[in-house]
Amino acid sequence: MSEDTSAYWRKLLRVDEPAPEGFLKEFRSPLEMFRPLFFAIINLLCRSYFRVKVAGLENIPKTPPYIIAPNHSSALDQTMVSYAIGRERREQLYTLAVKHFYDRPVARIFMKIAANVMRIDSEKDFFPALQAAVKVLKLGGSIYINPEGTRSQSGELLPFRVGVGMLAVETEVPIVPVYIEGTFKSMPPGKYFPKPGKITVNFGKPIYMDEYIKRKQTEMAYDVYKAVTDELFKRVSSMKIGKKDI
Amino acid sequence: MAELEQEIKAMVSKIIKIDESKIDPDANIFSEYGIDSLLGVEILAGLDKKYGIDVPEQKVREIKTLNDIVKLARELISKKA
Repeated sequence: MSEDTSAYWRKLLRVDEPAPEGFLKEFRSPLEMFRPLFFAIINLLCRSYFRVKVAGLENIPKTPPYIIAPNHSSALDQTMVSYAIGRERREQLYTLAVKHFYDRPVARIFMKIAANVMRIDSEKDFFPALQAAVKVLKLGGSIYINPEGTRSQSGELLPFRVGVGMLAVETEVPIVPVYIEGTFKSMPPGKYFPKPGKITVNFGKPIYMDEYIKRKQTEMAYDVYKAVTDELFKRVSSMKIGKKDI
Repeated sequence: MAELEQEIKAMVSKIIKIDESKIDPDANIFSEYGIDSLLGVEILAGLDKKYGIDVPEQKVREIKTLNDIVKLARELISKKA
């Protein structure tokens, strides 16, 4: 007997509803006009102050939609990934930012200059943000999501939340695992000024959803989402300990 | 109605992967058995599929125990009828 419960999840995520034209504009801001200047400064800092090394860029699919899923231990992380992927991909990327960060006025201004930002309440009700993320992916944008749900206070990986697997499976979009090294040392949580140092942004091979979509026919949807999330955790962990990309 | 209770207990046990005999009907399944909130949504998905009832997602915040799930299923099944 089929265990497939994904029809319910698809309804929750509103996967089968059309994405209205112009929807992406909701997450664009007039502050974007400062983005070229912001990244001109970031480029200089990344080449000198941080000595950023980028690896595995060829692993990012040529065109969106895809999901970028990095570890998270510093407020620098999103900017380092945005720098690493370059201008064109950056403009197509929509970042899910947790509400306690997004709701701080100064942080919000910086975020809107640096990225196309979507607010997510990862503790109470994350479905509205995931519904919006589905629409972004359907309209050909890409999503940046921290699978840990929050910044790690120790620099070690936290358990990954299953929402990232759910989003990828139900939209049939690949996930690019990313490991960012060095940002925690430079600017850990609680610090507001980064120290100079070496930062590495490593993009792993994408996890495609074909196998998991098939598994939904015989398994509970949650178990399939969990399997994707576990695979993502495995890949990101393997990049952390310096193993070759798997 | 005892039959419904038994059916739901079996379904929940399968979803949360805990033996039926070990599920206390009054225990908070999230704190007691350490399951995440999305697994709670999977329980609603299971009810939706098994009984063909429309379960609003907000109900996930109302289900804490097995007894809550049975009560919710009864309510929605009687509404459907």
